Amino acid sequence: MLEESSMTNMLQVENITKTFGGILAVDGCSMAVQKGTITGLIGPNGSGKTTLFNLITGFYQPDSGQIHFDDRPIHGLLPSRICHRGIGRTFQMTRLFWKLTVLENMIVPVRQVGWRTLFSRGVKRHEEERALGFLDMVGLAGYRNEQARKLSFGQQKLLEFAAILMADPDLILLDEPAGGVNPVMIEKTMGFVDDLNRQGKTFLVVEHNMRLVMDLCQHVIVLDHGQKIGEGEPAVVQNDPIVLEAYLGTANHAGA
Amino acid sequence: MSLRRIPAWVWVGGVLIALFVFPLVQQSQYYQHVMVMTMMAAVLASSWNILGGYTGYTSLGHAAFFGLGGYLVALAHNYFGWHPFISSWFLGIIVMGVALILGWIALRTHGSAFVVVTIAMVFIFRIVALNLGSITHGAQGLTQPRPGWGGVPWSPELIKIPFHYIMLALLCLTVFVSWRISLSKFGLGLVAIREDEGKAEAVGIDTMLYKVLAFGISAYFVAVAGGIYSYFFTYIDPQFIFNIFTSVAMVLTALLGGRGTLWGPVLGAFIMEPLENWLVGTFGGTQIHLTVFGAILLGVMLFMPQGIIPSLRELLDRWTGSRGGGLLGREPAATEDTPSAS
Repeated sequence: MLEESSMTNMLQVENITKTFGGILAVDGCSMAVQKGTITGLIGPNGSGKTTLFNLITGFYQPDSGQIHFDDRPIHGLLPSRICHRGIGRTFQMTRLFWKLTVLENMIVPVRQVGWRTLFSRGVKRHEEERALGFLDMVGLAGYRNEQARKLSFGQQKLLEFAAILMADPDLILLDEPAGGVNPVMIEKTMGFVDDLNRQGKTFLVVEHNMRLVMDLCQHVIVLDHGQKIGEGEPAVVQNDPIVLEAYLGTANHAGA
Repeated sequence: MSLRRIPAWVWVGGVLIALFVFPLVQQSQYYQHVMVMTMMAAVLASSWNILGGYTGYTSLGHAAFFGLGGYLVALAHNYFGWHPFISSWFLGIIVMGVALILGWIALRTHGSAFVVVTIAMVFIFRIVALNLGSITHGAQGLTQPRPGWGGVPWSPELIKIPFHYIMLALLCLTVFVSWRISLSKFGLGLVAIREDEGKAEAVGIDTMLYKVLAFGISAYFVAVAGGIYSYFFTYIDPQFIFNIFTSVAMVLTALLGGRGTLWGPVLGAFIMEPLENWLVGTFGGTQIHLTVFGAILLGVMLFMPQGIIPSLRELLDRWTGSRGGGLLGREPAATEDTPSAS
């Protein structure tokens, strides 16, 4: 039984805890992301979603608990090592190398193996072509030589997303891809995620836009106070009384 | 402006020829001396720039590597008879090894904490040199034999010339390495670290490895320069060579010319060092040159905070209405902080 489930679980978080000072940000949380899915991670503000992202990607070290990716432990590894294992992420507040050009932002994540490639001159043609392919996909190829800071907010989000793909991750963690983005851009982003998912990429998405979560995700995990309080198909989760309570307060109180 | 149309190799070639013929044309020992010191300042600032400019880690500890290079070369000369013109190059590798270890520790800190940790390195090395009397002769310092080759001292009229050419060779090597780094994936990674270290780590850059390597490389040329310097003056003592002002000068020189650019530190050195010598020569042993440097620095920070080269490039771009391509184009980046070879 356990064997069977761990075979399809690409990412497995087991009983993970993280405190900041006296605050329990993630409290014995266990969850799993299955290979080939788009999994949503939702919960009220401060429920520990971003902390969980930071734990998975190595930005924080867990106080206790384990994280496995493709059946290998990744807790305690540096973020760069976790990236090399095949997990890519975006940030809630978009982070780019602002003074570098769009194309340079795409090239930085290309993994360099060996001293010769690290110190050799310039960018290889196939790297540039790949970068331009992704830029073309998100509609930024025309901005290749612009500084990243000169792009609009939505374009910056798209660039961050496209740049992640250059590292060729198997699992992509998106932290609020639709936050502050106009509806047309949200639609586009959803399209990219869907296409990439069909090509075999697995996604874990933190998002407050419920329509996006319900439309896009095959599976939803709900966090509250650093614990998993529910999971299942979007439609099921949407009507789960515990989930509703976490978001809206107790039904009795609200009704009274 | 047609300045952009002149290819870079014409500029570089012109400057190289000028520097090559300088001691043949200019026979004044004073000016020859100033030129050696200027090229050394350019080596120090360019080398510092690999860490402080490209990577964005402001080290005030490079005087430690300068002094260590000087001491190792002087000791090897006195005890084993190794000629400094040869030993400097490989004893610099030992200093680089020391720097890799120190960098691995110091680079865990960021910002002002890093500055303080690196300052401490200078004082630690000085204290060690002062107290290791049986080897370093403590505060007495070390004296080397008069410069020469094969036991024959060079004639006093020509004594600056060998130093001119070895310093020129070191300057060429330093700028060449800095240039190659600025065009490589390694250099791009360093700039990414400067821009956002956490993000660089997130996209798979092994930031610690990159930073430590940059630290080591940037210590190497400083150490070689220290070795040659100890022979140039034939006398060093701990107060003199492990001097925090040596570090400060590297920073100011790079800031003046343009931190994070390829040629900024070189240009800065060719302004600062002759100016210092002129001021000292004109006003004698007063501290007026420090006052003038303070004023220059203030002016630079007010009117061209990124240094001379980036500001001039911006002006040029505004006049011509064009800009150079990106780091990945035919021409290296024209953005203000990106390492550049144009």
